[in-house]
Amino acid sequence: MAVRTIEVRESLMARNNELAAAVRQRLDDAGVTMFNLVSSPGSGKTTLLERTLAALGEELGIAVVTGDVQTQNDADRLARHTTRLVQAVVTGGACHLDARQVTEALDQIDLSVTRLLFVENVGNLVCPASWDLGEESKIVVFSVTEGEDKPLKYPKMFRQSRYAVINKMDLLPHLNFDLEQAKAFARQVNPELKFFFTSALQGDGLEEWFSFLRSRVGASRS
Amino acid sequence: MHELSLALEVGRMVEDHLRTNPGRLVRVGVKVGLDAGVEPDNLAFCLETVFAGPPFHGAQTVLERVSGDVLRLDFLEVDDGRPDH
Repeated sequence: MAVRTIEVRESLMARNNELAAAVRQRLDDAGVTMFNLVSSPGSGKTTLLERTLAALGEELGIAVVTGDVQTQNDADRLARHTTRLVQAVVTGGACHLDARQVTEALDQIDLSVTRLLFVENVGNLVCPASWDLGEESKIVVFSVTEGEDKPLKYPKMFRQSRYAVINKMDLLPHLNFDLEQAKAFARQVNPELKFFFTSALQGDGLEEWFSFLRSRVGASRS
Repeated sequence: MHELSLALEVGRMVEDHLRTNPGRLVRVGVKVGLDAGVEPDNLAFCLETVFAGPPFHGAQTVLERVSGDVLRLDFLEVDDGRPDH
């Protein structure tokens, strides 16, 4: 028999990356800035988005795509704070969103009235790091109730993110969390990482976060 | 789950290649970087699962660990049924 070897050498991410590039182009053409919010479960992504939608939803024309393994609870929570579109993607078991799901979600969103789009990824610090969704940047949310060594344990996610929101800062006095050490660990894996320090629940630090979002809407990609 | 998604993507890519290179799939080679965010043993298991069933019927999977964040379908071996020369 004749067994032939076919050299392929194609990235397993090639198709996802093609779709992500198309998403990026589509958003660029529509003048929409997209951030991909990533974190472990329970870091406060949804609460941060609730506060952001309540404060800036209309001003910045915010739309949200949420990803959850099961339930559309997060989308329902967010929809209570806004008349803006919140599109839920139930992954049915998958541990991350991919560019195909975002492409389909975009079909449900009126981009002509949207200027800022958040993707709330599945709570998971591993898998979402590998999937480009066409975002301008990944933003990792990291709460002080987690270990300060999270950046060392999950370096790819912190390396892939341009911004880190350190959340639940109101709890800091009650915890052994070493903030300076956490920042040092994060900068060890990504020296360029920019930080925000927030309590999404109590409102601390949100003005700086809001100012940042205002500055990024309509800004050209860097 | 992440590894299973990747294994299914390997299956989809292989099916694409078999359309232009028809024959019985014998082996599939995948390269995984140590910094690719993938657990190699888990991916190897998922690949075996995907390639055990139709339309692949037990093709052997070869997973090579390399440095960096490489994650790619490296090669296929296909028996096209023609006699050796």
